[in-house]
Amino acid sequence: MIFLQTPAHDDAIEMCSVRVGQTLYGIPVMSILEILGKPAKQPVPLAPSYIGGLVHYRGEVLTTVSLRRLLNMPSHDAMEDILVFEGSDGYFGLLVDEVGEVMTVSPADFESNPSTLDDRRKALFAGTYKLSNALLVMLDPERLDPVNLAETASA
Amino acid sequence: MERCLTELEERPDDRELLADIFRAVHTIKGTTGFLGFSRLESLAHTGENLLGVLRDGKLLANADVISGLLALLDILREILHSIESTGHEGNGDDATTIHRLKALQSGSREDDHTDIASGPAEDATQPQKPLPAKKRTRKSKGTAVAEENVGIAKPQDETNAIEVYQAERQTVQMRSVANTSESTLRVDVDLLNRMMNLVGELVLTRNQILQVVGTDASLALLSRRLDMVTADLREAVMKARMQPVSHVFSKFPRMVRDLAQQLNKRVRLVMEGQETELDKSLLEAIKDPLTHSVRNAIDHGIEMPHVRQAAGKDSEGTLRLRAYQEGSHVVIEVSDDGGGMKVERIRDKALERRLITRERAAQLTDRELMQLIFLPGFSTAEAITNVSGRGVGMDVVRTNVEKIGGKVEVDSRPGKGTTLRLRIPLTLAIVPALIVHSRGQCFALPQGALSELVHLSSNQIKTQVEWMEGAALYRLRGKLLPLVFLGSLLKQDESADKECEAYIAVLNAEGRRYGLVVDSLADPEEIVVKPLSSVLKQIGLFSGATVLGNGAMALILDPGAIATQSGIGMALEDDEPEVVNANAEESSAEYLLMESATEYAAVPLDSVLRIERIPRAQVERLNGISVLRFDGTVLPLKDRTGEDMSTTAGGEMTVVVCRDGERHVGVAVAQVLDVASGKRLSEAGTNNAPADVILLKDRVTSIVDLKQIPPLSGDRTFHEGLSETRKDEIVEALA
Repeated sequence: MIFLQTPAHDDAIEMCSVRVGQTLYGIPVMSILEILGKPAKQPVPLAPSYIGGLVHYRGEVLTTVSLRRLLNMPSHDAMEDILVFEGSDGYFGLLVDEVGEVMTVSPADFESNPSTLDDRRKALFAGTYKLSNALLVMLDPERLDPVNLAETASA
Repeated sequence: MERCLTELEERPDDRELLADIFRAVHTIKGTTGFLGFSRLESLAHTGENLLGVLRDGKLLANADVISGLLALLDILREILHSIESTGHEGNGDDATTIHRLKALQSGSREDDHTDIASGPAEDATQPQKPLPAKKRTRKSKGTAVAEENVGIAKPQDETNAIEVYQAERQTVQMRSVANTSESTLRVDVDLLNRMMNLVGELVLTRNQILQVVGTDASLALLSRRLDMVTADLREAVMKARMQPVSHVFSKFPRMVRDLAQQLNKRVRLVMEGQETELDKSLLEAIKDPLTHSVRNAIDHGIEMPHVRQAAGKDSEGTLRLRAYQEGSHVVIEVSDDGGGMKVERIRDKALERRLITRERAAQLTDRELMQLIFLPGFSTAEAITNVSGRGVGMDVVRTNVEKIGGKVEVDSRPGKGTTLRLRIPLTLAIVPALIVHSRGQCFALPQGALSELVHLSSNQIKTQVEWMEGAALYRLRGKLLPLVFLGSLLKQDESADKECEAYIAVLNAEGRRYGLVVDSLADPEEIVVKPLSSVLKQIGLFSGATVLGNGAMALILDPGAIATQSGIGMALEDDEPEVVNANAEESSAEYLLMESATEYAAVPLDSVLRIERIPRAQVERLNGISVLRFDGTVLPLKDRTGEDMSTTAGGEMTVVVCRDGERHVGVAVAQVLDVASGKRLSEAGTNNAPADVILLKDRVTSIVDLKQIPPLSGDRTFHEGLSETRKDEIVEALA
């Protein structure tokens, strides 16, 4: 895990770091409702490929989005952690390989998506933060909302 | 209103406030007048007059006026309370209050109104008033208006009676406040929904605990308690969501009246069982189907008055709305006493609209033909009116009712009328479902659509499932049933072992019948339906998801949507075992087996209307024929009990009411035994099968010839063949 010491100043942003494959992603902590540790998932036949399955969450049925599948990465059999967000159509979950710790980043280190990134990833990523020894790819929960994904997928 | 009045006392010239009160009183007057509560109306009218004067600024609202109005309010409330508890206005005397308000009104011209208005009246009506002095002193305090006027209206009362009256009024007021604010509570529907969800959650947790509980005795005891409490809680929360069907029924009197007027028909609406309760969401869901049904009944069912008179019926048609609970269902019947459905016309219309083929139509029984009205695009109306005839109606009724897990049945008799029965489950949130497996994944199949299960061994799958150009079929009791393989429908991994056994779940969804092939079955479970997110709803095959007792999640299959996606067409068979064509030689038609004194008798099951148990003493004689009276109609009776009427007068007998062509006849027997399919016997030595003998349950049984039961009027020559009835009469005459 990467450790980062950033002096806490006014516009510092707290990011929850998650790992999918070899890449580190960051999600604003304030947008996360809850993190579920490796719950059982129920696959949904005929669902769009990015749907990771259903999870029982506080009496509701949580639709999850698999970041791996969104990025066309091979799915792996290990249990995955789930981040819960509130979307436009109720809650939804994001399946990631592993949830790391919370780190603070400064807006000064932010850069938008490089132009060489493929279109699919451009649509998903909000930009990146430069860490001292790695990059933290910024994810925007709104873009991962299954409702919005359905629109971008059909477009 | 009370608050408004007290505010008015503080700000007597507030126009808006006055207008508010005026509106309130006016509404009471209008409504009560409309509902026929004359006492309320006259009171409100007087109040309105006074308020009118106030509003016009001719009179300033002083304490007297306000207390007068408050007294009016009290009485209004008392009457409302009386209506609430007894349904009547009560017989109180309002002359006092009315008089007092009139006095206040006239006070706009006369300053010293109380004395002038009440003085002469007092002299005239109460010459022997016992305590005039006391009254005068009270009046001087300026608070005497109420007492004095009460006194005028009740001259026979003593002053202390007046006080009692006032005390009573106070308690009445308190009671009515308690009634409206404490015994009921307005609760947000969202909160109720949430409670229902939480209870559902609790049910799931309970299910899981019950499965985990092992050998620990104390834990088993605790979990059983939890089980009971959960069940009670669930029931209570469900009850909180219940509303009487009168909420939906209440709009029909008006609708029926308007429709009848529009169509120049005369229709009387009878509503029964309005207190039957149903879940609020279901009540919403049946609103449209019920409206459609009622419109249909008036437009198609009930005939024009002159047609009715020609048919010997009351020119005013009767539309009956009846709701009752039957097990875990609520049944709502919409029945009319109109012309009934003409099977031939239904068939012709269906052919005309190319809904069925001619060959198919020829094969259908009357019962099946009636089911045609549920096909989309079907209408027998000659012209499209704004009432009905567009051909969207009955299919909407059925689709909507089946969407909430209900069923629609139709029963019609030519000339007698049509009954449409909507069978609605008590609640939507918890659904009985069968858990099925496909490729190792659980799915819940709502039991409402399930009609039967067929097990196929791995061998049978190869031999009994037939393929016709890629379409799988199974012969279910001689009829081909289209099959849908759940695994391949859901494009699940096909690598699973194909050699294993399978089950066919025979489903009936929105009039379509097909078999869903699944890998294995688990227990039936009561599941709590959880909605899916919109992305997953788009798949279209699942109506929701649920958490099972073992904690696993399962998707709920939507039988109707599966049928649509697999292109299953309308089938017209219904749930009941198919009635085999009666003219087939090896008739295996079903019979009702009955026992008379010495022998067995049978009647064809399809002619049986109902079975009743009645005392023998009710049998009467008419022209030598035994008859029974049934709510205003006379039923000719064939006595097969074999017992002598006179000796067993005190006993009971079973009467099987059958249909013989247009008329109804009764067959009296000792008891009804069973339903069985029979086999024709041929007489020894000949090849002829006698028409009235059949082998039922390995016993030779005679079939009661319903045609032999004599008609009550008209064709007397019919009596010629009635040797047996005659014999009975002779036997009785001798005895």
